[in-house]
Amino acid sequence: MQKLEAPFKDLQATNINTFLFFSEIQGRFVVDEDGTVVGKLADLKLRLGELFPTVATLVVKKRREKKLLELDWQEVQSLNTTMIRLNPGACKKFRPLEVNPQEILLRDELLDKQVVDTFGAKIERVNDIHLLIVNRDLRIVHVDYGIRGILRRLGWLKAIDFLTNWLFAYQFEEKMISWKYIQPLPSGPAKQNLKLNVTSRKIHEIHPSDLADIIEELDQISRSTVFRSLDLQTAALTLEEVDPKLQLRLIESAPVELVSDILEEMAPDEATDLLADLPEEKQQKLIRTMEKPSREAVEELLKFKEGTAGSIMTKDFLSVRKDKTIGDAVEEFRKTVYPLESISYIYVTDQDNRLVGVSTLRHLITCEKDATLGKLMNTHLVKVEPEDNVNTVASLFKKYKFMALPVVDKEDVLKGIITIQDIMQSQL
Amino acid sequence: MKKISLKIHWKTILLFMAVAGPGIITSNVDNDAGGIATYSMAGARFGYSLLWSLIPIMVALIIIQEMSARMGVVTGKGLSDLIRERFGVKITVYLLVAVVLTNFGNVIAEFAGVASSLEIFHVSKFISVPGAAVLVWLLVVKGTYRSVEKIFLYACLFYVTYIIAGLLAKPDWGIIGKSLITPTFDFTSARMGMLIGLVGTTIAPWMQFYLQAAVVEKNIAVRDYKHSRLDVMVGSFVVTIVAGFIVLTCGATLFKAGIRVETGADAALALAPLAGKYCSALFAFGLLNASLFAASILPLSTAFVVCEGMGWEAGVNKKFSEAPQFYGLYSMLIFIGAGIILLPGIPLFPVMYISQVINGIVLPVILVFMLLLINNKKLMGEYTNGRIYNVISWMTVLLLVGLSLVYLGSLVRL
Repeated sequence: MQKLEAPFKDLQATNINTFLFFSEIQGRFVVDEDGTVVGKLADLKLRLGELFPTVATLVVKKRREKKLLELDWQEVQSLNTTMIRLNPGACKKFRPLEVNPQEILLRDELLDKQVVDTFGAKIERVNDIHLLIVNRDLRIVHVDYGIRGILRRLGWLKAIDFLTNWLFAYQFEEKMISWKYIQPLPSGPAKQNLKLNVTSRKIHEIHPSDLADIIEELDQISRSTVFRSLDLQTAALTLEEVDPKLQLRLIESAPVELVSDILEEMAPDEATDLLADLPEEKQQKLIRTMEKPSREAVEELLKFKEGTAGSIMTKDFLSVRKDKTIGDAVEEFRKTVYPLESISYIYVTDQDNRLVGVSTLRHLITCEKDATLGKLMNTHLVKVEPEDNVNTVASLFKKYKFMALPVVDKEDVLKGIITIQDIMQSQL
Repeated sequence: MKKISLKIHWKTILLFMAVAGPGIITSNVDNDAGGIATYSMAGARFGYSLLWSLIPIMVALIIIQEMSARMGVVTGKGLSDLIRERFGVKITVYLLVAVVLTNFGNVIAEFAGVASSLEIFHVSKFISVPGAAVLVWLLVVKGTYRSVEKIFLYACLFYVTYIIAGLLAKPDWGIIGKSLITPTFDFTSARMGMLIGLVGTTIAPWMQFYLQAAVVEKNIAVRDYKHSRLDVMVGSFVVTIVAGFIVLTCGATLFKAGIRVETGADAALALAPLAGKYCSALFAFGLLNASLFAASILPLSTAFVVCEGMGWEAGVNKKFSEAPQFYGLYSMLIFIGAGIILLPGIPLFPVMYISQVINGIVLPVILVFMLLLINNKKLMGEYTNGRIYNVISWMTVLLLVGLSLVYLGSLVRL
């Protein structure tokens, strides 16, 4: 029998508080109360749910047995970096390994895999796992993604530390992320989003632009799983940000109902751009499933050719009749539940919906409540038609430095607006 | 009726064009400076008599590459990524160190190819090698994946020079046909060694990594996989044709005259009096193209593979500060590789030798890993190998493993 080098950490003592790395106990001997070897520690099973989840069972590989066995963590009496000692009589309590959706295997599903760091909004690879023994429980606290984790597992850490200290008086930094910011990813096509759902609330804290970057970097399975776990609004915002080629892939991988719900959440012009790239059949199917206001907006926008003002304009704008007062306009503003793309201008129309002037947010805030818009509005209008070329529109933006431009048809009826974001996107 | 079928054809072709690239590029890079040297040697020493062996090599190439492409499409992950996740960090790190060493040897060989091919055109290596290194480096650092792929696809077209050179050499098609139909082989160690050399240069470890990574980068959907498979097959076919023409050019001229060569540039020089200066120039230009092409891909592929396996950021669309390890490794491979060629009195042979030995050790490991990974249900779902395909691929892999071990043995005994 090997001589014990490291002191035992007695788990029976309740005041013990020690950190250890998974690599320091993985593959070590599991022995019974007499010190006879039972098997080797193959894995640890974690029960998800708490902020810092506890290890539920230890997974043991016995010699000449193919199947892995598990044993409750409570049966561990003490451990050190050479062996894990069990309670008396624990050997009879082994049972075949089973993993529920709320459980995760450290070695099989976390170590060496990719995870999302929701705090730094980045994807990292797990090099080691940092555990804490507190009150008899073993809890996961950090994920190690630095070079030290790799060196520790290779067994080179001490040698390299010595070398770098001696040569440069430097030591590689410890790089760890707290478990509360870790989002594990699915490991294969077999088990899909179940596990993600338990923990996916973390991922909603990431800004949609960062989420889009993350999704672009993931493999196809994780990508669609993460995407489907998002709430509708986050999904819509994220979808707007990802690469157009990937947008299609994501849409194809998700069920039609979900996609049409997401499309409704998106700005109509963005949704239209996306739909325009889809095959005819899929496009029609999705439009049919969408709810009325969004559907109509999208259907109208789809009629315009690519590269024209009509194809990039948005229908989200505020227009008020010219006989209405400032108070009415403010009320109108309040009633608009969906987010407007541009709130810089309020468009003023006559009774036939023809554009006659424009008023600004400044008027709404500074003017008397009962003043009519018709008197305040600016009637010198710069406007474009849906058939106008996008480049022409862009040069108008450059010349006048507006935040948005109205789009009108031949009869001056207001059809939509083009915001500075729309034009920037079309010019990139 | 006819109109409809034509329309479908166009659609299929367009889809193929969108998916194609990785397979064709990988196979063509395979005909790099080392490859051309081996094919020239085979032709110069044994005439047409080893030509037949290129056909079974092509089949093996298709089988291996098809698996790489399939893994890339289905899992969306690179090979080093999969090896890390499945076999752990220890094996991955040691394997990556070996891959970097063998690829580094290849990079040196490519710059040697650039130097010697341009010396035929009277360009000093002190101009050609630094120029090539900077060109290659800029291409990746300043380019995007799509533009780089386009340049690479055009570079594939230049391999046609070998076919023209082959036609200029006026080979005897009757004898070639006969030697293809009736393969002859004896187990003399020279012939055996040449055969193993041919296999070793055609099926190399870096290819599996590069092909899979390129497929992943293209985001090919599983339902378009059949186009990706076609891409691999076309690539393997083209590479075999080019290799065949190199062998027969040398077979028709150098073999008859009894001239032995050691490198592609030797062959190009020796061709001048026998097949005319155009044939010689085309041969040399082909070598330059191939060396440059491989010199751009090998360091890139190596940097990708290492960063992916270690979990470091990688990619040509990242800034230097975002992916320091990626750019560091990439630049180091290019500039040290090119620098070694410029050092006076550097013995290239031992460097090549060590790189070949490591190649021989790494290839079996990677092939076996690939088979284990592709048959992993959890990873591949319904896209694991079929039973018959599995038997064929295991047999191919075992044969290749056997050959590379024999080759390794012969190298170490030397």
